[in-house]
Amino acid sequence: MQTQEHQFSPSNINIIGPDHYAKNGYPHAEWAYLRRHKPVFWCEWPHTDPFWAITKHADIVQISKQPKLFINSKRLLVFVPDQRSDEEPVPPFRHLLNMDPPEHGDYRTIVSRRFTPRAVRELQPEIERVTREVLDKLVGRTECDFVIDISSKIPLAVIAELLGVPHQDWDRLFRWTNQVIGGGDPEFQEGGSQDETFDQARMELFNYFTEMVNKRIKNPTNDITSIVANSTVNGGPMPQFEMLSYYLLLVVAGNETTRNATTGGLQALIENPEQFRRLQKDPSLIKTAVEEIVRWTSPVIQFTRTATEDTEIRGQKIRAGESLCLFYPSANRDEEVFEDSFKFDVGRTPNPHVAFGIGEHFCLGANLARLELEVIYRQLMERLEYAELNGPIERLRSSFVGGIKHMPIKFKLKPAVQ
Amino acid sequence: MKVIVDLKLCEGNMRCQESAPEVFEVGDDDKARVLIQNPSGANQERVKLAARLCPRQAITVEN
Repeated sequence: MQTQEHQFSPSNINIIGPDHYAKNGYPHAEWAYLRRHKPVFWCEWPHTDPFWAITKHADIVQISKQPKLFINSKRLLVFVPDQRSDEEPVPPFRHLLNMDPPEHGDYRTIVSRRFTPRAVRELQPEIERVTREVLDKLVGRTECDFVIDISSKIPLAVIAELLGVPHQDWDRLFRWTNQVIGGGDPEFQEGGSQDETFDQARMELFNYFTEMVNKRIKNPTNDITSIVANSTVNGGPMPQFEMLSYYLLLVVAGNETTRNATTGGLQALIENPEQFRRLQKDPSLIKTAVEEIVRWTSPVIQFTRTATEDTEIRGQKIRAGESLCLFYPSANRDEEVFEDSFKFDVGRTPNPHVAFGIGEHFCLGANLARLELEVIYRQLMERLEYAELNGPIERLRSSFVGGIKHMPIKFKLKPAVQ
Repeated sequence: MKVIVDLKLCEGNMRCQESAPEVFEVGDDDKARVLIQNPSGANQERVKLAARLCPRQAITVEN
């Protein structure tokens, strides 16, 4: 990749401003500069506390493998509000993302067996059916918004079914997800601010699941809502705040990331037509193609850790209490790990990307996400005669999730093979 | 070489069995079992790969 490095300097480099992400997408040129010149970079930015920007693959792995030295609970991510707030923000949820060992493990095991490769394989026929239905509705059309009509529909249906949420309420899950993740984007804002939008969606979701929990306690079922509702932690029932937060996490994480990987994957295939043809000709590449789509899109931009003791990364002294912001998409373009790291290659092997994280907090839903992407792309490759962009992509205003809000395409879909 | 799996971390992601099938087996309980405690030859490299690929970093290799 050609980077115009001369334009960057540590004093002006922008890797965290949400407007930058909305306008330009991922700051890959900036990250490439940092990987080369300042891989452990002290970043000071308005409206947020300073942090170490970690951009190298090896450093993200090393930090993620030490969840007691580098904890999640103090600062989950580098959040850049529109206005500086004097108060230290207290996150209005407590779930796996902002818990640390040993508590994190106690909570995680409650549902983790539902997300193993073995467990998710049982969901395959259902995911195939949902995907086929979503695509069938578009046969005969020539234009659509890939996000609204396809990529948002499938993960939403899958997580809603896993949670046992009835069909008539799915659009609510969709809206809450958008408001929780996209509260900083004008399109999704309700109320006055990002915080108000987030909090309104959170409260509605909490109220909704409070009702469901009551039903599941009376009549337990096999869905994940029931498993969490009837779970025990440290010998007692799970506290209500942690329980409702658990649902918030499952709804949002189950929706947003897979949607964005699906969308970004098609964008990459359209922009690399030789890879599109290659995958269509050789469906045996589907698994490596899915890994490459996940590496390429890296839908989670960052999570943050806080050092609990004085330590060192790559020779740089880190003091106890300082934050380290792990930029996963940067690690996934690391020239020292990936050959031709800026080439989208559906056959890439090996592909040790860290888009799902690694270690203690490795994405709980990774196996499900992989299966969903596999099913979606297998069917798309079978049925999509052609696809091209039909207008500009609209990106989410967020430096946490690399969202694509809208992707207009022109396309032609074949009817399903019976 | 000695291979240890932290069963509190292991979630049956199968990378170990795929990388070193003679050394690891993931059972119906979604936990990895070590079939050869002291692997030798080509298995040593496979075990190192498994430890690197394990999503939850549950494998420790001692020399």
